[in-house]
Amino acid sequence: MNFSLSDDHEALRASAQNFLDKEVDLSSLLVPGATVAKSGYDELWEKIAGMGWPGLIIPEAYGGLGMDYIDLVMIIGETGRTLAPAPLFGTLAGSWAILAGGSEEQKAALLGLVAAGETKLAFAIADSGGSYEPGADEVIANASGGEYILTGNRSFVVDAAAADKIIVAASLNGARRYFVVDRAAVAAELLEWRDITRQVASVRLEGAAAELLEGDAASVWPFVRNRLYLLLAAESAAGTQAALTDAVDYAKQRVAFGRPIGAFQAIKHQLAEIAGQAECAGAAVQYAAWTLSVDDPRATLAATMAQSYASEAYCNATYRNIQVFGAIGFTWEMKNHLFYKRARCNAELLGSPRQQREEVVSFLEREAA
Amino acid sequence: MTIFFVRQVGKVVHLVYGKSKQLEEQDSVMDFNFPAQDDPRRIEIREWFKNHPAPSGKQIAERGLAAANWPEPWGLSADPELMLIIEEEFARAGVIMPAVSNPIGVNQCGQSLLTWGTEEMRQELLPPTLSGEYLWCMLFSEPSGGSDLGALRTIARRDGDDFVINGQKIWNSAADRAQIGVVVVRTDSTAPKHKGLTQFVIDMNMPGITVRPIADMTGEENEYNEVFFEDVRVPASRMLGKEGDGWQITMEQLQTERQSMTKPGAVWGSGPSARELMNGLIQTGRIKDPLIRDEAAALYVEGELLRLLSMRHLSNKINGKPAGIEGNVGKMVASPHGQKMTDLAKRSQGVAGMVYNKDVLPLPPKHFGLFDNWDYAYWFSPATTLGVGTQEILKNTIAERVLGLPRDVDPTARVPFNEINKPNVKAA
Ligand SMILES: Cc1cc2nc3c(=O)[nH]c(=O)nc-3n(C[C@H](O)[C@H](O)[C@H](O)COP(=O)(O)OP(=O)(O)OC[C@H]3O[C@@H](n4cnc5c(N)ncnc54)[C@H](O)[C@@H]3O)c2cc1C
Repeated sequence: MNFSLSDDHEALRASAQNFLDKEVDLSSLLVPGATVAKSGYDELWEKIAGMGWPGLIIPEAYGGLGMDYIDLVMIIGETGRTLAPAPLFGTLAGSWAILAGGSEEQKAALLGLVAAGETKLAFAIADSGGSYEPGADEVIANASGGEYILTGNRSFVVDAAAADKIIVAASLNGARRYFVVDRAAVAAELLEWRDITRQVASVRLEGAAAELLEGDAASVWPFVRNRLYLLLAAESAAGTQAALTDAVDYAKQRVAFGRPIGAFQAIKHQLAEIAGQAECAGAAVQYAAWTLSVDDPRATLAATMAQSYASEAYCNATYRNIQVFGAIGFTWEMKNHLFYKRARCNAELLGSPRQQREEVVSFLEREAA
Repeated sequence: MTIFFVRQVGKVVHLVYGKSKQLEEQDSVMDFNFPAQDDPRRIEIREWFKNHPAPSGKQIAERGLAAANWPEPWGLSADPELMLIIEEEFARAGVIMPAVSNPIGVNQCGQSLLTWGTEEMRQELLPPTLSGEYLWCMLFSEPSGGSDLGALRTIARRDGDDFVINGQKIWNSAADRAQIGVVVVRTDSTAPKHKGLTQFVIDMNMPGITVRPIADMTGEENEYNEVFFEDVRVPASRMLGKEGDGWQITMEQLQTERQSMTKPGAVWGSGPSARELMNGLIQTGRIKDPLIRDEAAALYVEGELLRLLSMRHLSNKINGKPAGIEGNVGKMVASPHGQKMTDLAKRSQGVAGMVYNKDVLPLPPKHFGLFDNWDYAYWFSPATTLGVGTQEILKNTIAERVLGLPRDVDPTARVPFNEINKPNVKAA
């Protein structure tokens, strides 16, 4: 039993922090009218690839770093804290899909390229309504010769535009399977996603040639979903802390009625509450990371809890952060809104916190039965 | 500078800056597993309970289990992991822990005797405390205010080898049943308000002490009392620390108490938790109501996070890390958490819950201490954001001590206490 972070974890986090503090520059996004196109997505990725981060979670056997999830959240906490704009989410999501659903040969071939920083991935599973479950709006797969052809649409695909290959969920003879498609074979159109530090696209497939992931398709989405929950929760927990620190610093400097505004209880008490939520969110993330690392039977529950709690805490903290700043916090030139938007988007991207709470109760009902 | 990662088999990733750096062996890898069922320390304690199925308080104390984290001869110098084992084994044996039945005595006051008491006091007072013979109370708050405790007016005047106490305390839990207590009084009225305070250990049957119960709003167990002091003579040998240490000792006691409340139990950390709430709602089918369902899930999540915070606090202690902010923050989160939980349990019952009725939700057979049913926990719950520091005072403390925001203004803080009510000071 040990609920504390080790010095190694702290060191890992500190190195990611040093790197990102140096490399992430959001100033070009703080020019009114800026879009994600100005975020330096590709440039930052080059540097991140140089750090070996594309291979963070890829086993060493395939050329990756083979990190566990506690290591991972040390780094993702930092990318979340800095809003690092780069296609890391898509590459991680795609890698997890291949790990869960690929054959041994597919894993070796595809993940090796990813770990080497040569291939970026994206994972396309949501339909136009944002549902992750098979529905009327499925992509349809047809066998043709030794190959497969995909037709249909996917939406809310993170990093599809930047990717080299996209893992697409599609229906083959009525069953959900996963396919690898070349980015060049699809039409990816960037959405006007409100969080301009992240690229999100819709994907149109019109007879796109595809390779079937040959492993166990049923395990893919639960496997990927739990890990994406952890990923977003880690971003959100760190973002909550960042929004708090930022608001506290400002409250110490800004003077009104002859005192720093941080001397007023209306401000103090709200910030104290956020400190409590930041602490809880951090604990949720570490626990979820541990359960995934050791394949604990409660990993699904832990990851779901972390995502529901941390994303709400983040929304709350970034809202409060803008209030503490006053009108200047509502300007495009300040970075407060970037965090606010990241928080809101994180709380919707994988379904709402309410949906995750529904999953929590369903899990507990099954456990009680 | 290049940064790359090196992996050590079975260990976390190490960082190497530039050229390679000696890899240090690290044994503190995060691990949320609880001590195993076959942990030898657990087996030893389980064995003891087998031989002592209904142990007396004295037997528990003599085995070192009453305050196992204390050093010998009182405890076992147990690390937090062993403490967890002991807690689990008490629950398994269906025996209530001394720290639960006599929290003020074992956690707060006993701890103060260890830190601040004389050897003579320890020898006299600790054995009956640990055996549960002595129940303790804390006599801090006064009619002049509980939040602004430093403004207290009860006076102790030195007279030979004694101090003579006059004044009044109020809201004192268990004072009507306690044999013994700690009282904080003013021994120097010329010092600023926090500086002139001193703590004494008093016997509740000393001549001149009158205890009057005050009926609390639950109308059930009597929670608190008022305590009057009329020329009560306390030997100077019963002083904790030195004259003027009273504020620091009192704050330590309150801090320890807040720490112990960072738990998922509904009332100040004890009583049923959100796990029991969820199970009860599932068993009764009330979980099917979509609004109850969402609230219950949110509370379940928050309860699990409180559990993690309390565990992390223990781990940080084992690892000798400085206490994180969770100790301070825990009570701020836990008190409203308990209020929302008991409220949901009550609401799930509908109008039937407005009739005296303890069958709110089914509970497993387990020792939940005093708050062993949702009904009492619910009607008691407004007190949890008052006692041991109100929610507002806690938030002030966190904002000021943890976040470093400016202190609230107290125009009376630096003036000699006996000048506070003089007109020129009032104007300041
Ligand atoms: C069930 C229960 C058990 C208790 N047990 C004990 C006990 O065993 N021993 C003991 O000594 N005392 C005990 N207390 C008393 C408790 O410590 C006090 O009630 C508490 O400190 C608040 O003091 P007060 O009631 O005088 O309220 P006040 O201090 O008068 O506060 C009234 C309100 O003003 C607010 N307030 C005060 N100062 C500030 C400020 N600076 N900023 C913002 N808001 C402020 C408070 O938050 C509160 O809402 C108990 C109380 C309860 C309810």
